[in-house]
Amino acid sequence: MRYFLVFLSLLILLISPFFGQIDISFANIFDTTKMDYQIFWDIRLPRTILAFFVGAILALSGLVFQTIFRNPMSSPFTLGVASGATLFTAIAIVLGLSSFVSFFAFLGSLATIVILFIIASRFHSSETSSLLLVGIALSFFYSASLMVLFFISNLQESYEIVRFTMGSLDIVGFKDTYLVILAGIFILFMVKYYQNSIKLLLVSYQFAHLKGCNVKQTNYILLISVSIAVGICVSITGPIGFVGLIVPHIIKTITQKSAHTLILPIFFYGGIFLVLCDLIARNLGTTSDIPIGVVTSFLGAPFFIYLIIKRKK
Amino acid sequence: MLKINNYDSLILRNISFELQNKNLIILGSNGAGKTTLAKVLCGIISSSCVSIENKNPSDIYGESRTKLINYIPPKLEIYDDFMSVEEFLEINKLYTHKSIYEVLQLLNIEYTKNKKCKNLSSGEAQLLLLASAILHNAKYTIFDEPTSNLDPIKIRNSFQILQDENILQNKIIITHNLNLAYKLGFDILFIKDGVIAFNDSSEQFFSDANLQLFFSDSVKKYDDNIVVNL
Repeated sequence: MRYFLVFLSLLILLISPFFGQIDISFANIFDTTKMDYQIFWDIRLPRTILAFFVGAILALSGLVFQTIFRNPMSSPFTLGVASGATLFTAIAIVLGLSSFVSFFAFLGSLATIVILFIIASRFHSSETSSLLLVGIALSFFYSASLMVLFFISNLQESYEIVRFTMGSLDIVGFKDTYLVILAGIFILFMVKYYQNSIKLLLVSYQFAHLKGCNVKQTNYILLISVSIAVGICVSITGPIGFVGLIVPHIIKTITQKSAHTLILPIFFYGGIFLVLCDLIARNLGTTSDIPIGVVTSFLGAPFFIYLIIKRKK
Repeated sequence: MLKINNYDSLILRNISFELQNKNLIILGSNGAGKTTLAKVLCGIISSSCVSIENKNPSDIYGESRTKLINYIPPKLEIYDDFMSVEEFLEINKLYTHKSIYEVLQLLNIEYTKNKKCKNLSSGEAQLLLLASAILHNAKYTIFDEPTSNLDPIKIRNSFQILQDENILQNKIIITHNLNLAYKLGFDILFIKDGVIAFNDSSEQFFSDANLQLFFSDSVKKYDDNIVVNL
């Protein structure tokens, strides 16, 4: 079963660049005179790699959030971190600072995490549901601010913002992809490096303390790493919801293993999940691509609910 | 040496005592502040009043703290749904040569080895906590009500382990089970209304006069056991 899944995933990765509005034949991708060559190397391949790393980063961030905030509902999106990044990106667009969007997105996610942490330090550890409510309130506040930005921006800017908030993997060339690959490797390295602390935190904060972990410092470092990685993703693709929330749960429920052993699988299958969603979004036969967030939700939600029902039995 | 000097909090007042190569039992009614005291001693609640081997447990990390002190809560709480008994014990194994299986056998719960911690009964979970303490083997181990969820056979088994001087180093045991406290024979620290009302030998504490003074008619000695008088 396990090997079959890995095989299937690699197959999805391999075939993904070949299908879309224009199907590419394998024979043409090394022939520089054909259009297939350019579509493959400049559009499809970077896009597939981008999808893989964005999915992987979001899924792993979900795992980190769920561990640190001790709530299975937390993810960069449910706690408002991605909306913070979105808002700040929109601000950058309105201010005409389009070349600094990555930096602004990072600021947005970092600011949200700082707010969450300040508020969380006032709660007892048993009150994580309050934190989730704070995250939801923040998201609403951010979307309201985004609305204000729509009103004060001109037509060109507001169109840019709308396209951005829909989330899209449309890129040309490898420039943006490199940044996301770096972010992906960075977050994977950080989580792997803190694997032992995560294992302790999966028991409880008190337990981690008793086993010698510097709980506060570990939490700060992991959350800042996540906000850097998520900030970079959001600045390039816009918000893509649901991946961070459901992929860790899906992997946990299927494998029935403790989360600290699932860092690599969650990273890998998070990536595969988004590549698959993107593959579907590009091949539904519509005149233009369906926003990726629509597919992740359509595919993810029913499967997620199915797993929850099955688990309760 | 474990030392706490003039500790004050909302419920505790002027708590001071020292412990050197000895075991201790902490008694006191519900809400007297025993768990708070335990958390202060192990640095979960930070305070400048505590020192263990001249170090403050809330200021040090890693090995320098884990070697000194461990706290075993009354209930096993694990956030992760799928952590197995073996995985949980692996992260607890620090300063002992005993194997995980050996310790599970000692507590007669070797059949739980591959179970998920979430699926254990409350008694099994409590024994798992005792197992984790043995595997951690810190210089001082604080047990917070180690027998509250156990059936009589398991209480007896745990009693023998807590009594055995070769299994753990210095033990601080918070309990409501007066008979357990009596039979262990460790020194007694009794907290009443936020202050230390008694801190001396077991023999003195369980004298008829003191039992009458601290518990009025609710307990009595019967056939060399302390029983609750119902």
